[in-house]
Amino acid sequence: MNKLKSQALIGDIFIIVTSAIAVVFLFKTLWSNVPASQLLIRQADQIIGTYDLEQTRELHIHGPLGESHISIEQGKVRFKQSPCNHQYCVHQGWLNRVGQVAICLPNQISLQLIGEKKPYDSLNY
Amino acid sequence: MRPLFLFFSAWLLISCSAKEPLYNTQTYVFGTLVDISIYGETDERAQAVSNAIIQEYQHLHQRLHAWKPSELSAVNQAFTQGEAITVKADIAQMLSDVTRLSTQSNGTFNPAIGQLIKLWGFQNDTFTPHQVDAKAIDSLISKNPRMTDLVIKGNQIHSVNSAVQLDLGGYAKGYALDLGLAYLKQQHIQHALINIGGNIIALGQHGNQAWRVGIQHPRQPNAIATVALASGWAIGTSGDYQRYFYLDGKRYCHIIDPKTGYPVQGMQSVTVLIPPKKQAGVLSDVASKPIFIAPANERLAQAKAMDVPHFLIITTDTDIQVSEAMQQKLTWLDHKAEKIAKVVRFE
Repeated sequence: MNKLKSQALIGDIFIIVTSAIAVVFLFKTLWSNVPASQLLIRQADQIIGTYDLEQTRELHIHGPLGESHISIEQGKVRFKQSPCNHQYCVHQGWLNRVGQVAICLPNQISLQLIGEKKPYDSLNY
Repeated sequence: MRPLFLFFSAWLLISCSAKEPLYNTQTYVFGTLVDISIYGETDERAQAVSNAIIQEYQHLHQRLHAWKPSELSAVNQAFTQGEAITVKADIAQMLSDVTRLSTQSNGTFNPAIGQLIKLWGFQNDTFTPHQVDAKAIDSLISKNPRMTDLVIKGNQIHSVNSAVQLDLGGYAKGYALDLGLAYLKQQHIQHALINIGGNIIALGQHGNQAWRVGIQHPRQPNAIATVALASGWAIGTSGDYQRYFYLDGKRYCHIIDPKTGYPVQGMQSVTVLIPPKKQAGVLSDVASKPIFIAPANERLAQAKAMDVPHFLIITTDTDIQVSEAMQQKLTWLDHKAEKIAKVVRFE
């Protein structure tokens, strides 16, 4: 009886240890592939805020040229309207993945999609 | 068993909740976005160092402004009037450097064509699409403004050609990267990443891994690939998508071929990677331009002339060239692009 009990304990420990390793391994490998969960908006050198992407919401952010309209729509975001001349920011379209960035240089507003794990630290463009 | 379980729970909790010592700040200088990350310092110290760098950049931007009153526009004014001008030592040094780099590219990198850039309307924060007078372009081209028209004696400069007007838009951001890196080292900062309008230089690393940089797809809002930027390495891209206008369905980008006087056509982006060396930042800004501007059959020769073994050339959605050395550094994210990319041997 005693022998059986100690064997069960060793088996339990084995299962716990291997599943813990599996959890850490899966966490590290799979986590980077999740879609973006949050949006970071900055105006000039200020962080305006961090917003949940899983919602439908329109934000109006003030810059030196006026108001930029940013729309969040269930997991994605875009510059919807901008007072800037060339509308590069609007033409960039929807962003939905971690690491994507849209910048309106004239109105000094940046959108950055963030998640638990960044695919890169900075963007070369 | 219970202690073991507790140990794992505690370990998972700690590894998830520990805030990493990463400070990040963004601001707008040189008409573009400046983004500084500092790793391994307190927020207070990282902020103080970043602020000092940003102030330095604002000062440099004012001094080198090509179309507002500045030390550089005073030089341009002197050139127009055929006069000599005394400048500060660092500006004389910059202009010698620019002349050397321009010569190295056989005049393809040519910051003496300020008048052409102005004619195309790019010397303006809010440029507008407009047809350019072909005669005005021809007239400027015939005057052939070149960096070698400059005569630099100590801090005194004059130009033998009154058509020379300097625009350091293709150099200043790279120069600022080197300046920022030198300051970080002087302040004993071990780990940092500076991004000025997409041109990036790395110092140290991000925790126990190298800094990682995404390379923007020229036509999509995604990164096409990523690259690990080890300490001292710099990366720069010339693209037709940062500053451009459409006229009659045709894209006119801000990079002008000094031989024709017209914006470069049929080229989306050129990315170069520069190993640690003196002026790595300057080279990351400058070296992509001659490759971008040169006709197809001269691109590799330009990469050679600029001594850049790491390059990625995207001409169209179906034509990508990547040097062997660059290919080894890239982690492709866009697998369609990866399939299309032709690996170029480059000695």
